[in-house]
Order: sequence, then structure tokens, then C-alpha cells
Amino acid sequence: MIGAVLQVIMVVGGSPLLLGLMRQVRAKLEGRAGAGIWQPWRDLRKLFGKEAITPRRTSEVFRYAPLVLFATALMVAVVVPFVTTRSAVGPVADLFAVVALLALGTVTLALAGLDTGTAFGGMGASRAVTILALVEPTLLVAILALSVRVGSTNLATIVSSTLDDPGRVISPVTLLAAVALLVVIIAEAGRLPVDNPATHLELTMVHEAMILEYAGTDLALVELASAMRLTVFLGLLATLFVPWGIATAATPAALAVGVAAFAVKVGLLGVLLAAGEVFLAKVRLFRVPELLAGSFLLALLAVSASFFLA
Amino acid sequence: MTVTMVAFGLALGLCLAAVLAAAVSPPERRSLVVGVGTAGSGVAAVVAGVAAMAGSGFSLVLPWVLPLAGVRLALDPLGGLFVAVVGGVAAVAGVYGIGYSGHGLNGRAVQALLPGFVAAMLLVPAADGVGTFLVCWELMAVTSLLLVLAEHRRRSEVGEAGLWYGVMTHLGFVAILVGLLTFAAHAGSDSFAALRSAHLAPALASVVFVATLVGFAAKAGIAPLHAWLPRAHPEAPSHVSALMSAGMVNLGVYGIVRVGADLLGGGSRWWWPLVLLLGAVSAVYGILQAAISSDLKRLLGYSTTENMGLVLIGVGAAGMFAADGNRALAGLALAAALLHVVNHAAFKTLLFTAAGSVLHATGTRDLDALGGLRPGMPVTTALFGMGALAASALPPGAAFVSEWLLLQSLVHGLPPSGVGTAILLPLAVAAIALTAGLSVATFVKAFGVGFLAKPRSEAAARATESPRTMLAGMGLAGLVCVLLAVAPMVVLPGVGAVAGGVTGAADPVVRGAITLELSTVAGSLSPLLLALALLAGVVAAAGAVRAVGARHARRTARLWDCGGGPLTARMEYTATSFAEPLQRVFDNVLEPEDDVDVTHARESAYLVESVEYRRRVPDRIERRLYRPVVAVVAAWGRAGRLLATGSVHRYLGYGFYAVTGVLILLAVTR
Amino acid sequence: MNETLYVQLLNLAAGAFLLAAVLVLWRRELAVIIRVFAVQGAALAGIVAVLAGHEHSAELWAVAAGVLLLRATVLPVLLLRALAGAGTAQRETAPLVNVSASLLAAAVLTMIAYAVSKPLVDLAPSPATRAIPIGLTVVLIGLFVLVTRRHALSQLVGFLLMDNGITAIGFLTTSGVPLVVELGVSLDVLFAVLVLQILTTRMRATFGDTDLDELRELHD
Repeated sequence: MIGAVLQVIMVVGGSPLLLGLMRQVRAKLEGRAGAGIWQPWRDLRKLFGKEAITPRRTSEVFRYAPLVLFATALMVAVVVPFVTTRSAVGPVADLFAVVALLALGTVTLALAGLDTGTAFGGMGASRAVTILALVEPTLLVAILALSVRVGSTNLATIVSSTLDDPGRVISPVTLLAAVALLVVIIAEAGRLPVDNPATHLELTMVHEAMILEYAGTDLALVELASAMRLTVFLGLLATLFVPWGIATAATPAALAVGVAAFAVKVGLLGVLLAAGEVFLAKVRLFRVPELLAGSFLLALLAVSASFFLA
Repeated sequence: MTVTMVAFGLALGLCLAAVLAAAVSPPERRSLVVGVGTAGSGVAAVVAGVAAMAGSGFSLVLPWVLPLAGVRLALDPLGGLFVAVVGGVAAVAGVYGIGYSGHGLNGRAVQALLPGFVAAMLLVPAADGVGTFLVCWELMAVTSLLLVLAEHRRRSEVGEAGLWYGVMTHLGFVAILVGLLTFAAHAGSDSFAALRSAHLAPALASVVFVATLVGFAAKAGIAPLHAWLPRAHPEAPSHVSALMSAGMVNLGVYGIVRVGADLLGGGSRWWWPLVLLLGAVSAVYGILQAAISSDLKRLLGYSTTENMGLVLIGVGAAGMFAADGNRALAGLALAAALLHVVNHAAFKTLLFTAAGSVLHATGTRDLDALGGLRPGMPVTTALFGMGALAASALPPGAAFVSEWLLLQSLVHGLPPSGVGTAILLPLAVAAIALTAGLSVATFVKAFGVGFLAKPRSEAAARATESPRTMLAGMGLAGLVCVLLAVAPMVVLPGVGAVAGGVTGAADPVVRGAITLELSTVAGSLSPLLLALALLAGVVAAAGAVRAVGARHARRTARLWDCGGGPLTARMEYTATSFAEPLQRVFDNVLEPEDDVDVTHARESAYLVESVEYRRRVPDRIERRLYRPVVAVVAAWGRAGRLLATGSVHRYLGYGFYAVTGVLILLAVTR
Repeated sequence: MNETLYVQLLNLAAGAFLLAAVLVLWRRELAVIIRVFAVQGAALAGIVAVLAGHEHSAELWAVAAGVLLLRATVLPVLLLRALAGAGTAQRETAPLVNVSASLLAAAVLTMIAYAVSKPLVDLAPSPATRAIPIGLTVVLIGLFVLVTRRHALSQLVGFLLMDNGITAIGFLTTSGVPLVVELGVSLDVLFAVLVLQILTTRMRATFGDTDLDELRELHD
């Protein structure tokens, strides 16, 4: 139980910092001073102090989408063994359920975008669900590759089996699955080269187009939830492929190590991602399927490798 | 006299009574009487089906009803499951039909056909002999065909849809007829029990299986035999669409399981990979067509093809595992498939009836002309949203649970398998995943574009809520959807027992009341806790927001419009534009037809007066596969017209020549 | 060498070898493709080196060095030089089948390769033979590139991919082709590339293009 609480605190409190860290790294690499890693928190505080605005003729979908988006990210933060594998909620949800929950978040946001009835909202929703639909095969096949040799899709089981046999991490199966998952996670989290989180140019927006009409506390919630989703995605990658440090016992020392390891791993991944983004431009929307087809191929190779090399 | 037999008899009796009542009652009471009768019959059928699944089946031979073989009826757990599903759909359709039939569908014939159709569908899974099965199957086909044609005076497309349906369903019937009669001839008896114990040569068994597979797949709307489905289901009255799409197509699956796994006992190795491949192709192709369709009911029809494809993936995987000797896993895969049948029946009933309400209120099914239905039709909107969630394989939805089970069976089937399985299973997982992703896109489109945002036409803006009986029918279906989504354990043990009975798996497939635990392999999921946690998360977030940012109240304001005046509905994304990226991504598969006409101004060829752009996405399988066949048939028809000169004497002469010719042939060959 | 380390290194090298073939399909710029091809040559040399380390064979070490020299340096340099002379029109590969579809085709080819080579692997299961499907996949992908690319230069890359795959299979099945044979094969490949390079240069000088679709006109 304490593990789950710790994870929630880490994800909710740490995700804006992760975002700030990534922006700061980018700024430094591009020769700018940067706003500091606390800037996302300052933005959130400002937004939470402002009134939310509901456009006329929008329905409950628009009203409650930020809450649902936030709730899905929160649930994933509880369910995935980021800090400890000793969790009481282990049997409730497995890797498939986690993926489906994250997809649910995207869907609610897409519906909210459509609900506004603006051209931008519809455009963002259309693009987001297109990417979602294409991401899904890679995600599930990569999960298949990871779970076949463990014989379970339960996250805690996958993590502890990797902890028991560290040599697995540099096997072709794991590496191929890791690359495949990295690509789709970048696509799902709306990072370069699939979506540019810093743009408001109509031709390139995906995520931003869906949330244009949100203001005040609603926007704050959406921004926080998006940051949490990024953290959760990177955390998932770290948990599945670099599980060291995750507590397998419920002692305070082990939990402390788990928390520190989680922060370091996700921070490092974030820095690497941000550094990589400096060298990337956003690809055209219709080149994205190529990227995803490639990652699907890698995931399929991972499955066949797990079957034939084992 | 078991409870099953009483309830089943009651169900059939109520149908019969409703048929008679439709014929004699006055027009203003007709739909009420028929609706109540059909709904009551549905409830009785659910009771009978559930009782049969619990093990108290019956078997009955009525030698005097039909000539030659007589009627053999029996309800075993497998049949019971399908009787219960059909009954559930019929209960909803009956209640819904009371209000829906108000305008134009109140004719004596249409009203009498509806309970007849239900009775035929209830009889098919209860048939226990080849003759009985074929008669019931044909009865079902004919009644449904006539119901599809109910509105043929109002819309010309109905006639074409009926023609497609009539031809394809009868070709399918011929295939089943050939298969089952061959089977019965070699088994030497009509009854299913005799067929079960008969040992066919492998080649002959394969012929029987393939012939019946063709017929049953055509009924289930499996690609490439799906062409009738997206035509007939949208054109039928909506409660009939629900009965067909949620009830009748399942019987195709029933046929495949009954003949392939039960009567033929598993058979050759290559059957089941074939079934799985058919399923995978149908799932992906069906949902792809649904994703780009902008006709609400056509979209739902294609989604039926998709879901039947998913079911067949499960059936095929179960057959493959059983052939490998892995009975426990086969039970799991089949249980997943059957659970998906149940789930699909629930949410497709809800979606078709809700689509019917929209049609009732606005007079259109075109998503590009809908939108903004939330203020006028709040209940329908909420119910369609629930159905869409259930259909899109996301938690907390019903389809998520069955697809999760299906994926679990595939994941655990990989390690000890052979090369063929090792190649097929990952592809099947990928197909399921792509289907899941595309179905999300499809239903976001259907719900988001069809119901939310601003109305795109006058009719949509004026839409008002449907009559109470329609809402009651939809509400019933919605309730079942919610139940299946959060508490699948209510039905799973029964479904698992049915699957275990067919595949010979000894253990129960799943156990646990709240957390669903797979008993033979590792895996667990708790749909109820997931749903509750989601609710708790939403409440917690709402509370936290209120606590943190309570300084200003929420304000309603005009949509930001860049200062250019209010945004109009023409600026919205339509269903077509929403699906455009997907259509572009799958360009190679769909092969859309683009057409650009540029009209130049009279003064100069360099000035453009208007540009007209048309795009059609025809069904590619249909174009490639059916058009040549239809062309050949049409050519034959033209050739045949040479024989018809208009002289009655000549026609009578043809008959005379034919009869004497056959007699001579018989005399010579005997 | 430690057995598990040997297996892991071999798998890694084989994985990189396959990944390079996939990247050839994935990327469009010919310059990048040629560099990827160089990486693949290095991965092939890696496979040979791992085998050499496992068998403690000086001969194999020499072959590994030779493979590295030829396939990771000489051939890519030759190709890059041909590219430099080819002008801007030739920078991208212009495939006949679009990239997503060819990646999916590669997925199917992999599956076929695995299915086909399964009996072969079962004859003598060992870490080395288990990687045979990878070699076969690379051969098939090479053939696919050869079929679906327009420019002569990218087809050349396809041909070289095939050759890499065949070489890999040779080493993985026998754990060492005799040095003389390997030398002969390498020399053949080198000559083939040189001849093709001269041919493409001539073609360009004559027709101004090496788009093979245009060669169809020579037929009439």
C-alpha cells in the first residue's frame, strides 16, 4: 500500500519536474538559458488559480474529459510496479490493461476535442486516434514478446523475472522489444518526431489542437495529466527493461532505494529523450505510419526471436 | 418436463401467439401486442438457455411434424448459450419495437414476421437433426429476408439490399445443405447423435467442413462472404437490424462450432488455422471499412463483420490448441470467443437500437449530417456512448474483457507450439491489436461526430428524444452492457463450462468473483475494481481541483472564434474528414476512387469557376471478387433470354421436354 | 570464452546484422543506406569474430579482419564514390513499394525464413545454427530490395545484402568456411561491384539516368 502511495506521489509531484528538466536540457543544448526545471510547476500553480471556462454548446464530455484523463494516468501510476513489486493491486491489472487505460485517456481527450465543434478540435482528435490505432499493434506484439518467456502479462512477474536473471536484458528479444516500445511510446506521448509539444502551428498540432479550448483549472489538469502520462510511459520503459532498484521487499530502505532508482532512471531517460529531440524535426503526419510500421516489424522480430532463439 | 423444456416451449408459444395476434389485432394495438409477445418470448428463451447451460437440457423427437425424419429438438449447453443470447436480443428488440413501429412499420405482415423470425432463430440452436436444422435455418433466412424488405416502398436501396441478401443467404444455404446432407448420407442417419458417432474419411470430413464453413461464414458475415451484411443490416428496420446483427450472425459461429468441433470432433489440422485466418482478415477488413464509413448503420454492420472475425480468431485458436492436445488452453480460447459473442450481442443491440432512435428522430443515418444530438436526445446520447465504449475494447467496457481473455489464450499458446502456430499467433495478436485500435477510432468517430459538437443539419438540430418504450429497450441493453463490463463473472463460469464441454477441458476456465483469475495459466484482471478505481480517480481529481483552485467559479463563454464571428457547423470536422488520415494510411488496401472536376470560367481557361471533388471508397473485395461473378451471371441471364420468346406453348414445351428427357435418362441408366 | 557470453555476443551481433537489413528498407537516403550497409558489414565481421573467439581459430580471426576490411570499408567507400558521381537525382532510393508496405513485407519474409529454416536448425541445434534464420531473412530482404528499388545503385545494395546474408549462413552452418573459399568469394563480390559501378557510370553517361524502368525502352 505504501508503495502505491509513494508511486502516486512520485508521478504526480515529479512529472512536472521531468518536463522542466527536459525543457531545460533542450534549452541548454540550443544555447538558451532556459526557464529552470520548476517552471512547469509555476505554470500549473498559475493555471490552478484561474477560472475554468466552458464554451457554450459543449456537453459533459468536454467537462469531465480532463478528470478522466487524469484518473487514467493516476491509475497507471498505482498499478505499474515503478517503485516496488510488492503491491496489493498486482492482480487487478496487467500490461494489457495498462495499455488500454492509457488509450482510454487519449480517447477521452479526442472526444473532448470533437465536442468543442471547432476545426482544430476535430483535426487533433482525428490525428490522435489515427496514431493510436497504428500504435496499438506494436504495443501488443511487443508485450507478447516480453511476456512469452515469463508466461504471464503481469507486470510484477515480468519485473521480478528480469531481476532474477539480469542476463536477459541484453538478449535480442529484449533489445528489439525495447526499441519497438520506445518508438511507440514517443508516438503515444506526443513527442518529436511524431508530435511537437511546443508547437501551435495548425499543420503540425496533434495534442495541442485537442486542448485548445481548455482554460484555467481544466487546462492545468490536462497539462498535469499529460506530464504524468509522459512520466508513466518513460517509467514503463525503465521498469520493463532496466528494473534494477525496484523494491522486492517492503522494508523502508528498499523502498527508499526504489524511489531514488525510479527518479534517476526516468530522469536519465528524459534527458536522453530531450537531447535526442534537439537533433530531430517533426516528420510529416503521413510519414508517421512508416515509423510505426518499422517499430511493428521490430516487435514482431522480437516475438520470433523469443520463439526461435530460446 | 424440465424447466428448460417448459421455458423453451413457452418462448415458442409466445412467438406463435404474437404471430397470430398480429394477424387479428387492430392496427393501433398491434405493435404493443407483438412487442410484448416478442419480449416475453425473449425472456422465456433466456431462462431456457441459462437452464440448458446449467445442465438441465432436454431432447425431443416429434416424428409427426415433418415428413421423412421428423423433428428432433434438443438443447445442450452450447445450444443453450445461443438460445439465451438470441432471447436477450429479442427481449430488447420486442420492447423497443413497440415505439419504433409507430410509423409505417405497423403493417400486419411485418408485425407477424418479427416473432416468426425470433422463433426461427430460437429453433436453430435447438435443432438436433439435419432435417430440422435445415428447415429452421431456411425459415430464419426467409423471415429475415422479408423483414429486410419491410421498407422497400420508401427507399429504393432496400430492394437492392434484399436482392444481395436473398442471393447470398441462399447460396450459403445450398453450401450447408450439400455439406450436411453428405454428412448425413455417410453417417446413415439424420440425428446429430448418429453424426457424432460416425467416422468419416478425412477427405470427406474436410469436404463437409469446408462446405458448411462457406455457408456459416456467409451467415456470420465473414470476409469475403460479407458483401450482403453492410447492405442488408442498415436497410432493415433498426430493431430487426439488432436482431440480425446481434442475434442471427452468431448462429453462423454456432454452426461452425457445432459442425466442426462437435459433430466432426475437431477433424483435420488445417481447418482451424484456416478459420483463424478468415477471422483475422474479417476483423481487420471489417473494422477498416467501418472506420471510413460515414453511414451510421453501415458502420455498425461492418463492425459486426469485425466482431465475428474476432470470434472466429478465438474459435480457430481453440481448434488449433485442441489439435495440439492443449485442451485447457483450447477451453480458454473458446470461452473468450463465446464471451465475445455474448458481449457483442449486448453492445450491438444497444448500438443498433440507439442508431434507430437517431434515424427515428432525424430521418438520416449520414454521420456527416448529424451531430449536436446531446441537448435534444440526452438519454440516447448517453446510451450510445455506453455502447461505443463497450464496443471499442477499452476498460471499463465489455469487449475489453473478452478481448483480454482472447489475448491471454494467444500469449500462453505460443511457447510450446509448432512452427505454424508460432507464425500464426503473433500475426493473430497483431490483427486483434490493429482491430482494437481501429475500433477505437471508429467509435470515437461515431460518437464524437454523430452525437457531440454542433448539429450539421436542420434535422439534427431539431431532434427530440424517442418514445419511452424505445428508451426502455435501449436502457435494458445498456444495463446488460454495464453488467457484462464490470461483472463478467456472472456469465463467465457458464460460458467457460460450455467451452469446456466442447473442447474437453476439464477445469473451469476462470475462477474468482471480483478478480478474474485464469485457472490453468497465469493471468488475472479485475474489471470491477478497474471501473471503481477509475470512478474513484475521477472523484479524487474533482475533489482535489476544487480544493486547490476554488477561488473562481466555472464560467460559460462563447467559443473562441478569432474575433471572426461565431463558428458555423460547416467549419466542423465531419465523419469523412475525421477518417481521412486513416483512409490515406490504408490507401493501398482500400483503393479509394477520387474524382476531381474543374469547371473553368467562360472568359478564360485560367480562371476556375468551381471545383468539384468526389471520393468513393468502394468495398474492394466486392469489386474484385463479386463484380466478375455478377458479370458472368448477367451474361448467362442474357443468353437465357434467347430461350424466352414470349410464347406460352414454348414454355410449356420446355417443361415437357425436360420431364421426358429425365425419364428417358432414368430408363437408360437404370 | 564463457559459454553464455558467447551466446549473448553471437545473438547481439546477429541482431545488429538483421537490424541493419531492416534499416536499409526503412531509410530513404542512399548515403544513409550505404552507411547502414557498412554497419552490417561490421556486424558480420562481429559474428565471424565471435565464432573465431569461440573456436580459438586464428584462421577465422583473419577472415573476420578480411570481412571487416572489405564489407565495412572498401565496398561502402566504393558505393559512396559512385553515389557522389550520381548527382542529386539519385540521393533517394525511390522504391516501387512504399516504405510501410515493404517493412510489413519484411515482417512476412522473416516469418517465412524462420519457418523454412526450422528443419535446418533442428538438424544440429547450437547457438550458431539458431541464428541461421537471420541470415536467410537478410538474403530474402536483399532479394526484396533488388526487386523493388528503381535505381541501379540501390539495387546494388540489395545484391550486397544478399551476399552478406549468404556469407553469414555459411559461417553459421559450418562455423568456418575454408579461408581460400572465403577469399575467392570476397574477390568475386569486389569484382562484381567494380563491374557494376563501371556499368552504372557508363549507363549514366549514355542515358543520363540509372532508373531501371527507363531501360525498358531499350527493349523496343
